[in-house]
Amino acid sequence: MDVVMPQLGETVKEGTVIAWRKKVGERVEKDEPLFEVNTDKVDMDVPSPATGVVSAILVAEGATVRVGEKLAVISEPGSQATREPGVQETRLSPVVRKLLAEHGLDAAAIQGTGAGGRITRDDVLAHLAQRGAPQRKVVPFSRIRKVTAERMALSWRTIPHVLQAVEVDFLPVEEVRLAAAEAWKAKEGFNLTLLPFVAHAVCAAIREFPNVNASVEGDGLVLHGAVHLGVAVDLGTEGLLVPVVKDAGNLGVADLARRMRGLAEKARDKRLSADEVSGATYTISNSGKFGTLLTAPIIDPPQVAILSLDAVTKRPAVVGDALAVRPIGVLAQSFDHRAFDGAYSASFLRRVKEILEGRDWARDL
Amino acid sequence: MAELTYRDAVAAGIAQEMARDESVVFLGEDIGAAGGVFKTTLGLLERFGPRRVRDTPISEQAIIGAAMGAAMTGLRPIAEIMFSDFFAVCWDMIANEIAKTRYMTAGQIALPLVIRTANGYGSRFGAQHSQSVENWAMAIPGLKVVAPSTPLDVKGLLAAAVRDPDPVIFFEHKGLYSTKGEVPDGEIVDRLGTAKVVRQGEDVTIVALAAMVPKSLQAAERLAAEDGISATVVDVRSLVPLDTKTIFEEVRKTGRLYTVEENPRLCGWGAEIASLVAEECFYDLDGPIVRITTPHVPLPAADLLEDNAVPTVDRIVETVRRNAG
Repeated sequence: MDVVMPQLGETVKEGTVIAWRKKVGERVEKDEPLFEVNTDKVDMDVPSPATGVVSAILVAEGATVRVGEKLAVISEPGSQATREPGVQETRLSPVVRKLLAEHGLDAAAIQGTGAGGRITRDDVLAHLAQRGAPQRKVVPFSRIRKVTAERMALSWRTIPHVLQAVEVDFLPVEEVRLAAAEAWKAKEGFNLTLLPFVAHAVCAAIREFPNVNASVEGDGLVLHGAVHLGVAVDLGTEGLLVPVVKDAGNLGVADLARRMRGLAEKARDKRLSADEVSGATYTISNSGKFGTLLTAPIIDPPQVAILSLDAVTKRPAVVGDALAVRPIGVLAQSFDHRAFDGAYSASFLRRVKEILEGRDWARDL
Repeated sequence: MAELTYRDAVAAGIAQEMARDESVVFLGEDIGAAGGVFKTTLGLLERFGPRRVRDTPISEQAIIGAAMGAAMTGLRPIAEIMFSDFFAVCWDMIANEIAKTRYMTAGQIALPLVIRTANGYGSRFGAQHSQSVENWAMAIPGLKVVAPSTPLDVKGLLAAAVRDPDPVIFFEHKGLYSTKGEVPDGEIVDRLGTAKVVRQGEDVTIVALAAMVPKSLQAAERLAAEDGISATVVDVRSLVPLDTKTIFEEVRKTGRLYTVEENPRLCGWGAEIASLVAEECFYDLDGPIVRITTPHVPLPAADLLEDNAVPTVDRIVETVRRNAG
């Protein structure tokens, strides 16, 4: 029986085989996990369609293939195991065996160029020559990487970006946050960060500057009204996802914190639904944990602005006529100059800063 | 330096040795007045006279028997058997007498003689006059077996054979007689039991003999041009003694061995080399040893059939190409 790339969603056209759970020659039961697949947003184990022996694996781990394409062959009991072309040849010549043993190499680590993929002496020697030297290799883009690349390039090509930044004194926020931290952690089970405070201030400022929460369409600007706040979540080397807090403008700091936390967890577990990653009207990206001073973010179209929160660190600040130590951070916004101008964006940022520095945050928790 | 044909080099080699050593004599059918049926011995009768250059009756046994007796009594005879196929009619003398005399007399009697013969395919002479019988000769303990591929090697190895204290079977190739090559002036003496690396490559080692050497060289050029396969070509030159050192060295460098043999496949000389390499170089082999030979058939007289029965340049190229991966 042929195993093909399954349809894992109505709009999904292709998937990436992340890992095979069975090797060639290994027995597999029907519905037992056979391979792990990755599509735009989800990873999942695909069950075997039949009981039998895996007689051929035709697609290497990491390869992206279209839905319906043949991936493997399972020989069912009673049927003759068939030998498919492309099956890895494991026969090794005497000199290759000797070289592998001498250098403690694993045949699986070496790409064979001989007949039927056989590893030749030259392949081993080439591998040895490469080892130690810095290696050049091609790492195929994951689905997330591909989508990110396309959208970022589109944005950079089509949107005239302008960057503006303000320095914010986070002392009022930090006093409240740190005072509440312990109780919050005990009750909610996770740390209360600065991000929900910034999100809340952004949502409040958007009410006064609605053009920031908009899209360019044709010759006009569509004002969205409701704020659906995209919050970038880093998945390490796997890429970046931006789950969306719907109607963030109606949520308090505590609810924002909980919703962001929930979405971030689902993003890391790749359990986000399509609905949860679409429809953002404004986005916040947070590089603060890495200690960055300033990030110039790229707008995720069709949005017209994006805000970056960077590291908040204790710095000397002039308060009145005296020097004080204050937790200072930079908020940087990239905006689409087609949508509005620098003065509008600057006024919005000033308003965000005023809220963060002036609000009585104790009432929000 | 002079350009000689392979056939000129035979006469030059014999002349060099006869001029050097009075005990060297030469006998065979039509070698004197006729200058040899392949014109390999022109001028020898005139130069050295009928006492030392003797035409014989058509009797291979008589030629070999006379040569054996002459060697036993102090001469260094060179005997010619016109076609190597005719070894079969004097095989008792060669295999049972000449090859074993030193051993059976406990070294009291040595037989410093050379039996020259025209070996091989290519003249449309049919199954009884076209054979490559070098593998017959190398099967008999007590015989040395030489088969040069160039005029230079003919002269040098013939001199070495004449000076050797034991019987040497010297296979000249009929198909090579008209080929030319540079031969330096003056005395030339080569060494028996030495192979020559005639082309140095990196990917495969082709071991060939006599007329198969130029074919292998042509095949190597095509493999380089058409497939990027770089071939070493070793001219074995001497089957007994065999230069295993050179052959093993060249096989170890590439990990691949192909033998190109004109003798029929069963028990051809390449089988012996394949067996030695499998034993001695196993852990350096990167692919199966492949023998390219004439099939185990009587050689046809029809030109197309004869040309295609023995290994062709095409067959060498295709076989190496198919197995080189």
